Amino acid sequence: MADSTHSLVKRALLVCASFCMFFFTADLAAQTSLPASPVTPAMHEVTDGYGRTVRLPVNPSRIISLAPSLTETVYALGVEDRLVGDTDYCDYPPEAQKKPKVGGVINPNLEQIAALHPDLVLMTKEGNLLETVRALETLGIPAYATDAHTVDQIISATQKLADVMNVPEQGRALTTDMEQRLGALQTKLSGIPPRRVLFIVWPEPLQSIGQNTFIADALRRAGAASIVESNQDWPQVSLEEVARLQPEELIFAPSHSGAGDDFDSIANRPGWGILDAVRNRRYAIVSEAIIRPAPRIVSVIEDLARQLHPDVFIEKPVTEKEAHPANSAAPVTSGAQQKPIAYRSIEAMPTEISCAL
Amino acid sequence: MSTPIRTPLPSSSNFSDQPRGNPDLRLSVEQASYVYAPNPSQAPLFTLEALSFQAKPGEIVAILGPNASGKSTLLKLVAGTLQPLSGRIFLNGFPTYSLVPKVRAQRIAMVQQESRLLFPSRVWEFVLQGRHAHGHGVRFASEGDVTIAQNALAQVGASHLADRWMDKISGGEKQRVILARALSQQPLLLLLDEPTLHLDIGAQVDLLESLRRLAAENRYTVLVVTHELNLTGEYADQVVLLQKGKCLRVGPPASVFQRDLLEHVFQAPLTVEMTSSGRPRVTLFNKS
Amino acid sequence: MRPLTIGRLFLRCGVLALLLFVVVVIALKLGAVQVSLYGLGRDLIRVLLHQSAAISTDYGMIVVDIRLPRILLAVVVGASLSVAGTSFQALLRNPLADPYVLGISSGAAVGSIVALMIESQLAISPEYAGLMTPFGAFLGAAITIAAVYVLGRREGQIDSTTLLLGGVITASFLSSIIMFLMSTLAGSSFRGATYWMMGSLSSLPPKSLLYLLGIGFLVATGAIYTTASDLNLLLAGEKEAMHLGVDVPRVQIVVYLAASILTGLAVSVSGAIGYIGLLVPHAMRMIFGSDHRMLIPASALGGAIALVLADTIARTVVAPSELQVGAVTAIVGAPLFIYLLRKRLS
Repeated sequence: MADSTHSLVKRALLVCASFCMFFFTADLAAQTSLPASPVTPAMHEVTDGYGRTVRLPVNPSRIISLAPSLTETVYALGVEDRLVGDTDYCDYPPEAQKKPKVGGVINPNLEQIAALHPDLVLMTKEGNLLETVRALETLGIPAYATDAHTVDQIISATQKLADVMNVPEQGRALTTDMEQRLGALQTKLSGIPPRRVLFIVWPEPLQSIGQNTFIADALRRAGAASIVESNQDWPQVSLEEVARLQPEELIFAPSHSGAGDDFDSIANRPGWGILDAVRNRRYAIVSEAIIRPAPRIVSVIEDLARQLHPDVFIEKPVTEKEAHPANSAAPVTSGAQQKPIAYRSIEAMPTEISCAL
Repeated sequence: MSTPIRTPLPSSSNFSDQPRGNPDLRLSVEQASYVYAPNPSQAPLFTLEALSFQAKPGEIVAILGPNASGKSTLLKLVAGTLQPLSGRIFLNGFPTYSLVPKVRAQRIAMVQQESRLLFPSRVWEFVLQGRHAHGHGVRFASEGDVTIAQNALAQVGASHLADRWMDKISGGEKQRVILARALSQQPLLLLLDEPTLHLDIGAQVDLLESLRRLAAENRYTVLVVTHELNLTGEYADQVVLLQKGKCLRVGPPASVFQRDLLEHVFQAPLTVEMTSSGRPRVTLFNKS
Repeated sequence: MRPLTIGRLFLRCGVLALLLFVVVVIALKLGAVQVSLYGLGRDLIRVLLHQSAAISTDYGMIVVDIRLPRILLAVVVGASLSVAGTSFQALLRNPLADPYVLGISSGAAVGSIVALMIESQLAISPEYAGLMTPFGAFLGAAITIAAVYVLGRREGQIDSTTLLLGGVITASFLSSIIMFLMSTLAGSSFRGATYWMMGSLSSLPPKSLLYLLGIGFLVATGAIYTTASDLNLLLAGEKEAMHLGVDVPRVQIVVYLAASILTGLAVSVSGAIGYIGLLVPHAMRMIFGSDHRMLIPASALGGAIALVLADTIARTVVAPSELQVGAVTAIVGAPLFIYLLRKRLS
């Protein structure tokens, strides 16, 4: 073939190829993200934890939760029959494990979510990825994210979630109960100096919690003060620094194998013997509800307060649980093992406890 | 014998200014000099003093001298990769340095000693590379290109190697293939830098014989940098004798190969004889 | 003696393109949610005929809104990375070169982390939300490209060895910056950054970004393709190439910029997916030879096929969860690399 024919053919094919490419991608742009549903539900505008203004259905009937704390809240508000999907890590209450799964907290499967035809997806700013928020936006699936850095914010987030799910009265009942219990606890602990504690997220490398987290706030409500002053959420601290500060007690929540389920596995680590708290065996174990921004946080605060300041609680026996059958955590104290009381049904505590948020 | 490759005359559309000088003269080096000074504040590391010589089509010119005499520098000046500090070098009347690489490659072909390709290729692909300078854009070899490449291989007697892999042929065969690639550039000027260095004696003679034949048939001008005295004496039409950056003499071998001159340049006792064909032959002695 | 002709080039590319088409169809069919081939074909035809609204709800969102963009993203990113890898291997004259050897992915990672940090402080508005991280990543990549270019010059023009050294040093320097930044990140940002750097295609970028990617790929690959013949000669060495008529500085600049842009675009959207840019060029070279006129389009198509396959595996093997596609390419790529290496040596 002569050179001129060569270049002509080349150019023609290039034009064809570009045209095909444009044609195909133009099609993608042309279509709408969500096929129009036959009945347009009523929508309202809400501001979520990211500060975005989002349009959500007034009465969502197919809800997906992308965080264990949100699943707990859904159950606590009594709307679990509207929950059509949750994550692999949503294990409390135990019935939540039977719901259809859409993947992990960080990497949920968009196809599974879409296949369940949700009209509302709940997320947390702390646990879920911004990428997921954006992806749902692109697909036109309404998504609402909460954000809580203090216990008060957990309570207000609970109320907001109740509003979003159209059960404001249940929300108010729940939040009032939470506030009352916290208020009573505060009265009891007033005037008592807080215990200086170290909250151990992970022993090696030693990781604790920052002062701007709701966990630190929960500790304060329980009459404790975290010795770690950091603006990071999950700061890494050195054992020497802890030894210098010498906390009175160590606090940790049991997690899957690795961090150790009991005090001894932590105390026996090299170098930890220099801590007074280790030598004096001063520690408190709480349920992993402390790292979930859900209504159960109030129970775990109460439980921790009881462990740290037992003398304040001597006159008040276990009747707390009878007065408030809702939202009782399963307290595990240092020492005797009590039969745990799970939420809404007497069941054994699940043996596999994840420490995801 | 295969069809000799006719060197096409350069068309005037390729040139940016008017040709100068005598058109019968292919190569004209006029008082070209060069200084290699990487650090401007210090004394230069090497100086090639101004020298001149000329070459006609069909001539073989040997640039002769011991190591570090400036031979390679002179070759680079002629090739146009270095710019002379003073003076000019003309190829058919055009300064070699001012040509763009593509046009330069159409006229000047450098024959390397070795060619290491990162990924092995076949001999015919390698020889076709020589046609690159004559194409444009994303080049696809035309029939003309293929013919020229085949001719080039035939000219060096390597047609039977065409489908072999470059990394599977012997050193001598590779040398011929490299020469074939240079030929397929259809140059006016062939430049070789110490081509006999890695070759055994038979291959050395083969190469020089081929160069003589090719230069005569295709009217190439051939410049060979070497320190081989007898090959130069036998095959060169002109010799440029260099020592430590200075050109000591230019001329046919018979006039350059003077005993005292050569002994001074090469620092070795020798004798020079004339053979029956009029070519000088040098015999080296033991220093004792 | 059979030189490459345009006809042969198109034939081979046609075969590869057909293979790509088949792979794309398979990828569209597979996933956490089952889709029938008949329904798939019907809906794709509807898409082409502009009758998108007629697609039933079940398929519409899953296939066309989630899977198809993701697969197209895999096609463009896979093609970009492979072409970039081929180009860098030629430019640096090093068969171990991959698109990230000059530090572009590290620069993009720094840019994306900084963007994440800024983004988490501000409230995002929907139009810009999807663009901040890719934009930040591309900015980081661009700065790195410029810096390495300046470092990689010798006597005013690119020298392949100096370029390689400059790139490697920059990459390690940036890695230490990344580690420092990661230690200051809050929890979710930290996780996001880690996932991004491992490489994933699940981010569902906005359509405008897909366009940009596609156009950028075509332009950059076109620019590199104009130097395809020159690259063949450049493999022999810069001096030799120059003597054969290659304008070496121009070719180096064009290839360096275009290949870096390809890498920057790919990495901005999908993080640093490994092994595609390294292995696909070698595999294509084994099949088609090292002539860049054939190799460049073959790498593009081969890279697209490879990444779509890897992404499909990542999506389906542990459904409904997902593996990171970077993990899949590494698990498959490393043994494949060893195999290729042994084959070359034998």
